[in-house]
Amino acid sequence: MTLRSARTDVVALTLVVALGAAFVAYFALPFLGLADRAASDGRVWDLATDTAVRSALWLSLWTAGLSTVIAVACGTPVAYWLARTRIRGRSVLDALVDLPIVLPPTVAGVALLTAFGGRGLLGEPLADLTGFRFTFTTAAVVMAQVLVAAPFYVRTARSGFAAVDPQLEHVAYTLGASRTETFLRITLPQARGALLAGIVLCWARAMGELGATLIFAGSLEGRTRTMPLAIIDAFERTSLGLAGAVSMSLILLVVALAVLVLFRAVAPAEARR
Amino acid sequence: MTLTFDAQLRLGPFEYNAAFEADQEIVVLFGHSGAGKSVTLQAIAGLVTPQAGRIEVARRVVFDSVSRVNLPPQQRGVGYVVQELALFPHMTVADNVAFGLEGAKRDRHAQIRPLLSRLGLDGFEERMPGTLSGGQRQRVALGRALARDVPLLLLDEPFSALDESLRRLLRAELLRLRAELGLTVVFVTHDLREAHLLADRLAVFDGGRILQFDRRDEVFRHPRSRRIAELVGVANVLGGRVIGHRPDGVTVEVDGVALLATTDQRPAVGSEVDLAIRAERVNLRRGTVADTDGVNLLEAEIVEEHAYGATHTLWLEPAGAGPRIEVEVPSRPYEVLGVAGKRAWLLELPPDDLHVMARAPESG
Repeated sequence: MTLRSARTDVVALTLVVALGAAFVAYFALPFLGLADRAASDGRVWDLATDTAVRSALWLSLWTAGLSTVIAVACGTPVAYWLARTRIRGRSVLDALVDLPIVLPPTVAGVALLTAFGGRGLLGEPLADLTGFRFTFTTAAVVMAQVLVAAPFYVRTARSGFAAVDPQLEHVAYTLGASRTETFLRITLPQARGALLAGIVLCWARAMGELGATLIFAGSLEGRTRTMPLAIIDAFERTSLGLAGAVSMSLILLVVALAVLVLFRAVAPAEARR
Repeated sequence: MTLTFDAQLRLGPFEYNAAFEADQEIVVLFGHSGAGKSVTLQAIAGLVTPQAGRIEVARRVVFDSVSRVNLPPQQRGVGYVVQELALFPHMTVADNVAFGLEGAKRDRHAQIRPLLSRLGLDGFEERMPGTLSGGQRQRVALGRALARDVPLLLLDEPFSALDESLRRLLRAELLRLRAELGLTVVFVTHDLREAHLLADRLAVFDGGRILQFDRRDEVFRHPRSRRIAELVGVANVLGGRVIGHRPDGVTVEVDGVALLATTDQRPAVGSEVDLAIRAERVNLRRGTVADTDGVNLLEAEIVEEHAYGATHTLWLEPAGAGPRIEVEVPSRPYEVLGVAGKRAWLLELPPDDLHVMARAPESG
């Protein structure tokens, strides 16, 4: 049998389909397992109405939302600049943006401590002057999420802006449009898809943030204990055990899925082509 | 003067220095890619800042390195159409064309209606650029640049992506628009035929410099140097030495043959010059030098030929001394003369069509 023969395609197709199916099954099974356990346990609804779980879920939702807003507000100018600048050492800058992505979140948490912790670079003088400490505050949760999740937005937005032909902007300038108007009417609509994708990635990463938050913000119920931390807590402590962790995971999944679906529905409709 | 331009700039190893003007006419910037044509348009539009120079648009200084004037593109009042057109893909035809106007959307759309119909875009208002043909997109780009009633239109190879029949149509349309609106157009192209058709005046660019800026026919018939002659498609550029002066011109020795050329110039006897003659200006005659009246006659034989449909290009090698000559013959005379069946001809290089160029030391 040669590469040219028609049978090659049959064999290749069979192989590809088998691999794809195995892949899908591998992803589906853990979720099925969760659902199965939660169903046999029967306490999902009890937990969903439990105040501790509710407060953790609510904390997760709004801190991840706030982190995403901060990432968009501060990251969009950076992403645009990265996409347009021609300065030397741009590749180094790009790598720096990617760095938090490859960094283990625990390292990010330790790094945050060295900067903003009670003995940190900025944390120590701040504590001496005002007595304010970031650690164990909700602010620390948001800070950890921004550090870990914002690069996902910046990276995606940068590619989106880079894909917008600068000539569109130049032509808009010659037509009298200010830089701001050009950005809002030409660049932003063109990069819209990438920005939305970046927002989703960033929010999802912030929702799942665990390591950096645990080290920098701790796990204080009602203040820093987000859903992932609550699940760890439930898993490690005996009161609820695996069953509790399972149910809470399912709740987190369903809520996250609902938010993502809602976001895509509410986000302004794709520009006509 | 709608445009006076004088700018110098350096982009890495590329040095640029050019000056020209335009007034209610089409000035074609002609040259190979990388010669500095597009940079010129960008400098006029304010997208590239020269290191030195002065640019005036409609008698208004938009750039002056001495008095430190540098208006942003928004205030330069020029229409700029780039090669890729850069239509805003997320906007309708009407929104694209009306982009440069101010006011309520309804007013702006009403304002562009006459322009759209002038450009043959009636009924296309709500179409998206992606659904248009190449020619229609071209018209939208033109309309968008014209909608603001600008005195100056900058066109950067706007027709290069279109097929030949469409280009012919749009060139004719541009000439009509120029006549109707009294536009001043600076048109960049590397297409010789396009340059010839559109240009009132022609600036020949090479290596970041303008080698010659003149009326079109002046550039085509009297290129100032061998390089310009080659760029504007003069097939025969013959190097020679002046051997004598005559009342109406000079005698130049080229490869052992004396040729008369009509000229006002009087280059010194013994000096080196180039003679230029376009392939279509060379006559094919029957007979021999001995039995024919006339000057600049050369017995030669066709050694190679190409048929281009409307014309035939022939290369002839002289029987004795003399240069190799390229001749272009329209297909009808080609058939009437029976060129296909006869190889030996008498070439005539009319002295009036032999253009003398001093061999100046050239930077390009």
